[in-house]
Amino acid sequence: MSFDQNAFLIIFTASLISISCGLLGVFMMLRKMSMTGDAISHAVLPGIVIGFFVSGSQRGLEVIIGAGILGILATLLIDWLKNKAKVQLDASIGITFTLLFAIGIILINMLAYKVDLDQECVLYGEIAYLPIDLWITDAGFSMGPRITYLAVLNLVLVGTFIFLLYKELKLTSFDENFGLVVGLPAGAINLALMSMVSYTTVSSFEAVGAILVVALLVVPPATAFLWTKKLTSLIKLTCGLGIFIAVTGYYAAYLVDSSIAGMMVAVAGVIFLGSAAIKGIKPNWAFGTSTPSKPLEV
Amino acid sequence: MIINVDSPILEIHDLTVSYDQSPVLWNVDLSLPAGKLIGILGPNGAGKSTLIKAIMGLIPTTGGYVKLFDRELNDVRSRISYVPQRESVDWNFPASVLDVVMMGTFGKLGLFRRPGKKEKKIAMDCLEKVGMQSFIDRQISELSGGQQQRVFIARALAQEADLYLMDEPFAGVDMATETAIFQLLQEMTAAGKTVIVVHHDIHSAMNYFDWIIMLNLHLVASGPKTQVVTEELLRKTYGGKLNLLTKVTDIIRQKDFNPLKN
Repeated sequence: MSFDQNAFLIIFTASLISISCGLLGVFMMLRKMSMTGDAISHAVLPGIVIGFFVSGSQRGLEVIIGAGILGILATLLIDWLKNKAKVQLDASIGITFTLLFAIGIILINMLAYKVDLDQECVLYGEIAYLPIDLWITDAGFSMGPRITYLAVLNLVLVGTFIFLLYKELKLTSFDENFGLVVGLPAGAINLALMSMVSYTTVSSFEAVGAILVVALLVVPPATAFLWTKKLTSLIKLTCGLGIFIAVTGYYAAYLVDSSIAGMMVAVAGVIFLGSAAIKGIKPNWAFGTSTPSKPLEV
Repeated sequence: MIINVDSPILEIHDLTVSYDQSPVLWNVDLSLPAGKLIGILGPNGAGKSTLIKAIMGLIPTTGGYVKLFDRELNDVRSRISYVPQRESVDWNFPASVLDVVMMGTFGKLGLFRRPGKKEKKIAMDCLEKVGMQSFIDRQISELSGGQQQRVFIARALAQEADLYLMDEPFAGVDMATETAIFQLLQEMTAAGKTVIVVHHDIHSAMNYFDWIIMLNLHLVASGPKTQVVTEELLRKTYGGKLNLLTKVTDIIRQKDFNPLKN
């Protein structure tokens, strides 16, 4: 098989996106906030629409800022509903993101004639168009696929964020109150993490869509957590899984001629189920193959 | 009976805390001396943990103030250490014993700086003090309840503070460990540190604490053990739980310790 540049670009970009999502997803999972990531990925919609409306293009900085603000707003709203209104966490997540998402849909419909954006695109994305969506400079020179640049920038920012705040994220994920007691700004760190999740969602939605971003945030960390109980190996394994998912997902989609992003998430799901099955069945196998008399000897 | 001291390490003035409009602590007003092992006693729901959390600024107060080392909390955070209840965290978190104890040093490190050799040395020393040095690489999910508690105490020690606040550090801990930890706390107070412990077992409280705070929504008593442990004050603290009180007086009799005599 000859080198297919398009295939390489798609797999490379998808790997970058799934690593960014996985890195953030590890900490979201440890904070028991995986579904907050889901909420954020939907709640940013009004921010995207407003940003789009203000800047007049999908590429504007306004879109990212708008989404970031909505992401933080969603986090604050969830916290407020949970702590002050005493609503269960899952209910407050459900209330918040459906409300914000609905506002987004209404805005899209109201501004439909001014905004070239529809919810399908935001929700599902399409990574297959990546090689033809080029970044063309003012001089008319093509720099290559735009989304790949966005994914690189996103990974650099997410990586730097986690590298710089690794110790703080670890402590506040484990024991937030203790973080407050020793004087770390736990609330600010939490909001910073949520902002990174919002930004990553926006940066990736054109490629894989908001729903699939959620899968990449949740599934690889959850799978890795089945295999390791060490934070550094958890992060490494999550990144490895991200790359594996991108490669296998692409070729599986190529084989059956289907949606690449959809197939990537399906692969992620299968790997998770496979891991869970192996982890769950293991004790039975051990019991079957090792000397069964052992428990009786004790 | 509330005994106040001069130049207190901790001063609480008129502190009131409420959850959803119903107060769980009323007008607590006390001052504590430095270098003592101090126990907070009271029945379930008396507000013992709430008092500790209010001191640490973890819950909003409705009235009053807390002064530590005669300063505001934020000025002296590095001098205060805290042991939360064991159930307050998820022990499935992917971290080793050493990782958790190192967290005690993060406050002094500040933002962005990473723990190095010095912090590791501190953590190892603290683990040795609680007798957990052979567990450094063990994942915290594989620890027993008593071991988890000792890890939390080691983490607090790693903060190298002057004032230690511990919320039920003996819950689910066996007698041998309890004795060992109490000895450690006594060594710490002998070295000039102040240790405040929320405790539920009156029996061991009589043995180890120098100063006792009795709490039941209101402050019932605060003073040296010999002065505040009276049947009247215990009855006031524990209310109508006579069964418990008979047990307590039995214990006091067995120990041949009758504060009423003095």
